[in-house]
Amino acid sequence: MKKHFTLTLLAVGLVVFQVLAQTQVPLEDMSSFREQAGNWQIVGDVIMDRSLDIHHDAEPEPQKKKKKKKKKNSEEPKRKAVTFTPGTGILLNMNDDVVKDHLVTTWEHGDVELELDVMIPKGSNSGIYLQGRYEVQLLDSWGVKQPRYGDLGGIYRNWETEPSLMLKGVPPTSNPAKAPGLWQHMKIRFRAPRFDEGGNKVANARFDFVEINGVRVHNNVEVALPTGGPIAKEEVARGPLMIQGDHGPVAFKNIEYTPLEASKVTLTDLKYEVYEGSFQNLGEMTDLEPVASGEAEEIDILVIGEEDRYGIVYNGKINIPEDDEYTFRMGYTGGFRLSVDGRAISEVNSNAARSQPIETVSLKKGSYDFELANIKNAPWHQPRLGLFVNSPSTDVKTFHHYDSYPLSEDFVAPILVNPGDRPRILRAFVNHEGGEKLVHTVGVGHPQQVNFIYDQDRADWVAAWRGDFVDATPMWHSRGNGSFRPRGAALWNDLSFSFAELADANAAFPRPEEKGAYSQKGYQLDPATGMPVFKHHYKGVEVTDALSPDPEGRYLQRKLTFSQGGLLNWYVKLAAGDVEQMPDGSFAIADRSFYINVLSGGAARVREVDGMKELVLPISGAEVNYEIIW
Amino acid sequence: MNSMNLRKAVVGVLVCLFSLPVVYGQIHEKEKEFYRISTVPVPENIAMEVGGLALMQDGSMAVATRRGDVWIVSNPSLERGTPPVIQLFAQGLHEPLGLAYLGGDLYTAQRGELTKLSDTNGDRVADVYETVYSWPVSGHYHEYSFGPLITPDTSFFVTGNVAFGNEEWWRGESRVPWRGWIFKITKDRELEPWATGVRSPAGYGFINGELFYTDNQGDWIGSGGLWHVPKGAFMGHPAGLRWSQREESPVKISEEEFYTHLDKRQVRVNGAYVKPENVMNEENPAFLYQKKEVIPELQLPAVILPHGILGISNSEIIVDETGGVFGPFEGQVFIGDQGQSKIMRVDLEKINGQYQGVAFDFRSGFQSGVMRLEWDRKGHLFVGETNRGWGSAGTKNSGLQFVTWTGKMPFEMQTVKAKPDGFEVSFTMPVDKKSAEDLDSYVGKSYIYKYHAAYGSPQTNIEEVKLKGVKVSEDGMSVRIVADNLRQYHLHEFALQGIKSREGGEPLLHNFFYYTLNNIPQGDKLGMSELSTFRSSLVKKPAPKTTRRARSSRNSVLSDDEIQPLLAKNTCLACHMKDQQLVGPSYAAVAKRKYSNERIVELIYNPEPKNWPEYATPMAPMPQVPKEEALKIAAWINAIDD
Repeated sequence: MKKHFTLTLLAVGLVVFQVLAQTQVPLEDMSSFREQAGNWQIVGDVIMDRSLDIHHDAEPEPQKKKKKKKKKNSEEPKRKAVTFTPGTGILLNMNDDVVKDHLVTTWEHGDVELELDVMIPKGSNSGIYLQGRYEVQLLDSWGVKQPRYGDLGGIYRNWETEPSLMLKGVPPTSNPAKAPGLWQHMKIRFRAPRFDEGGNKVANARFDFVEINGVRVHNNVEVALPTGGPIAKEEVARGPLMIQGDHGPVAFKNIEYTPLEASKVTLTDLKYEVYEGSFQNLGEMTDLEPVASGEAEEIDILVIGEEDRYGIVYNGKINIPEDDEYTFRMGYTGGFRLSVDGRAISEVNSNAARSQPIETVSLKKGSYDFELANIKNAPWHQPRLGLFVNSPSTDVKTFHHYDSYPLSEDFVAPILVNPGDRPRILRAFVNHEGGEKLVHTVGVGHPQQVNFIYDQDRADWVAAWRGDFVDATPMWHSRGNGSFRPRGAALWNDLSFSFAELADANAAFPRPEEKGAYSQKGYQLDPATGMPVFKHHYKGVEVTDALSPDPEGRYLQRKLTFSQGGLLNWYVKLAAGDVEQMPDGSFAIADRSFYINVLSGGAARVREVDGMKELVLPISGAEVNYEIIW
Repeated sequence: MNSMNLRKAVVGVLVCLFSLPVVYGQIHEKEKEFYRISTVPVPENIAMEVGGLALMQDGSMAVATRRGDVWIVSNPSLERGTPPVIQLFAQGLHEPLGLAYLGGDLYTAQRGELTKLSDTNGDRVADVYETVYSWPVSGHYHEYSFGPLITPDTSFFVTGNVAFGNEEWWRGESRVPWRGWIFKITKDRELEPWATGVRSPAGYGFINGELFYTDNQGDWIGSGGLWHVPKGAFMGHPAGLRWSQREESPVKISEEEFYTHLDKRQVRVNGAYVKPENVMNEENPAFLYQKKEVIPELQLPAVILPHGILGISNSEIIVDETGGVFGPFEGQVFIGDQGQSKIMRVDLEKINGQYQGVAFDFRSGFQSGVMRLEWDRKGHLFVGETNRGWGSAGTKNSGLQFVTWTGKMPFEMQTVKAKPDGFEVSFTMPVDKKSAEDLDSYVGKSYIYKYHAAYGSPQTNIEEVKLKGVKVSEDGMSVRIVADNLRQYHLHEFALQGIKSREGGEPLLHNFFYYTLNNIPQGDKLGMSELSTFRSSLVKKPAPKTTRRARSSRNSVLSDDEIQPLLAKNTCLACHMKDQQLVGPSYAAVAKRKYSNERIVELIYNPEPKNWPEYATPMAPMPQVPKEEALKIAAWINAIDD
């Protein structure tokens, strides 16, 4: 049973302030970068036409990437694949055969966490070299089913032939790549190689993780040698960031990096007192005499020597080395309270709970009173108590004995569900973007690895993603909670109704709780494809709703039919969020996180309801067809 | 001596919501002579966690699973020694916990809707998943929906579990309309609320054309049992009353009124809610029957299935309509239990217009929790099994099995009827008159369960039933038990420990009966002159030679024989044996620890599992064991000499 609780920010004494550890690379000018040939520049906006390849003879084989390529840039299309406007905030590469320098930062880094948004046009190719040496590949890998090391997020190989010098590439564990011209988010945590005093390498460089569009595609991957095309072959403790500039346009924004160091947070003067009793809550220890006490180097629940019906209170000093945001992650059974400077940072006042609460607080440099209280009166739980602390600039530091909170504690063998050669349908509860719980939801996994969740309460899709289908462990492990999780980078739709008769062109779409005249009728499987066709009844009209992947398995097509034509003031809500019309006629939604492309059924238009932009379509016939592309 | 095995009582180690795996004794080794369990071989990669069973027109068995699949099992009873064929009919359903067959289609209750599954193109694969009715759920894990049960007019009954509180995780609550209710989806696809007060209504069905359901021990439910559910009834759990004032509600009592009669026990201490616990030695505990005086809609259980004895999580109800193919219990009711992985047997009668009746153990030893029961046309009782993460005596997580009567007549109590002065027990075969006329062959007690906000109730107001005499019928097929102190509303538990069959002198296969005496019938009582009052224990006999030391002579330590009823009554034997490790350590092993008697009593009330790290299942606190009995048990343990 998870407890939810909110932490009111520590107001007095522990002041909220600007975190300095994280550095935003200013994209006002090029001053953060070394001189280059001019293919890199700062611009105000970039438009990438999703349907135009940057080459006319696109070379999809990434292996050819490092080889000399013949450019065949003969034809000049009317539309350009990449256009831009002057301004600041976006870093853009527009190379040609001659002007094609890599971009190298003026700053250098060792251990670092790097976060950025990247936009890649159709057919383009680039890469981010940590320390100028270890490349995470950037590629238009949209729709690739079995990604290789040369796809987006791959850790590239080198081209040595002598076995001891060869480096194998490591492909991303899945492909969360979005369609060309959309912003994609990357987060990389890199650990530099380590050297002894004699300069001999004692530990390889390592990617702690690489995340693309919120999906972890690498986890603790060592890189024994520099990848192909490094700034230099010898490995070093610090080096500049380098971005490849010779293989096509690419744009970046929101580049932020955080140098990482070992945590200097310490616990000192740590003492504990042990209590015995059938505690109901944490307050009951207050007036008791401890049955044991002692000094401790670290937190260790095993000092109690009891399985159950115990309480323990640790007291000491927590020494904060610098002003920063500190994240405290607890592991416990029973109930606990963690206090710093006399204030509860995290608390579950139970005697039988078990969870892993995480709380982040701003702390100023200094030494504070530290108190950790724990009780348990629940024989079915093992004694467990653990504390992990990290900050944006430090990795996690453990403050407990290994056995007090063993690593495997929170894992079970997962139950994963994938389609076979036919679509896999599975109903479950779904937490919409991890928040609101949707209950009449149907997951559909397609063999083409295009998946979506349909909410029958809204007659609309609510999530779409490519790759693996769902993790049903939360539903089927033990008694479960009835829910599953998408296994890819889910695109979440908003939560109003999908279609409605509106009082006027500016009326809001209803929410499910006001559904009234609407009723869901379930679904029928298309005999040819095995895909569900959802059915609804609304104001005397039978509506069918079919979503299916495009033939290449990259995006979704939606077809709505209405049993009557000539429906006056009936609208389909296509999307909510910022809307831009793109050169090819499609619409980019929500700061270019996906596209809507209307094929038939009416002319889409943008409107604003309650301060929120929407793309809507007045229904003109008995059928609406459009594409959802991400 | 073998009374140790006579009752298969598995203690409900239910602490809060958590049940723990329990181990069954050896009674199923005897049961299988009469009722054979066969396992339907299921392909290795199929998780057959059964939520629903429905016999299809062609004799196939449709099986809905918690994994959302519906399988069609052709030749499920392995006729002529041939294997079944198992094919996928439907998939992707949301934890369906029921299945019904009507007009060629299958109907199932998913968590959030009633669904009709139709094969419209004849390939025996569902292609239409039609929403018959979509009801609200909040998304809490415990909001299971069960059913449907198809009524004669082709409406559908569906039942819905309560959710639990966030901070008060022990308190059942109804977050959205009609959770904690039994409702009907009519032919016009309208929702018609039928009754509320249910907590975890996993099993329900028709008996004599009337709706009955089972519930599990929990908050407000002292013990599991079987309830009759007339329209507008209130079964006892207050969560669903939140919606009773809606226009369409047939239940009248409001939540506010309910809490004027019963203590909600919602208390905050030091900023946190305190979980209500059983109050030991409570002065004036509330009982259902008392509260029924002020809440007329409150429905008493027709048959209490004493928690930890006849199950810990009762499930499906099914009536024997096999015309004798399944043995001697035609017209009686079988009830499954998930946690104890067994099936109980119930026979009802109506006294003063109210249902009541008797319950027995019937068959144990299933491989997982018994969730669903369904007859095939040959009189096999199909058993759909899962433990759904709650643990079960059967150690597997799933199973599809069936029970066949071997044709051999078990020596059982056929039924028990209430009489103005006691009970009439009838048997499946004649009893040995001498043993049946001996009052020492019978031990009875009566008790009741509290009605309170705490999770479950101990047996309360326990009283020995004082026998006046017995009368054995001429043919030896029945016995009238006449007692002084029958108590209305109480559960009367009898062990017929000394009864033997006329042929072969066999003991009863199951020698306990549990009769819920909601009403004592009017009528003639037997005269004393008709009764046998013989007690073999009062006949002078040479002092028995005991091999055990510490007969009651010294220190008043009880003998092995004398301690057995105490161990059985307090459900100790579910987990402990004298010389063998079972769920917990043997008593001999406990004796070696050389605890004082007082310390053992302490440990009965507040076990310390850390003392026994090699045992996976921690012992549940047993505060309901009376102190004098606990002391006797402790003394007996300490007298064990190895």
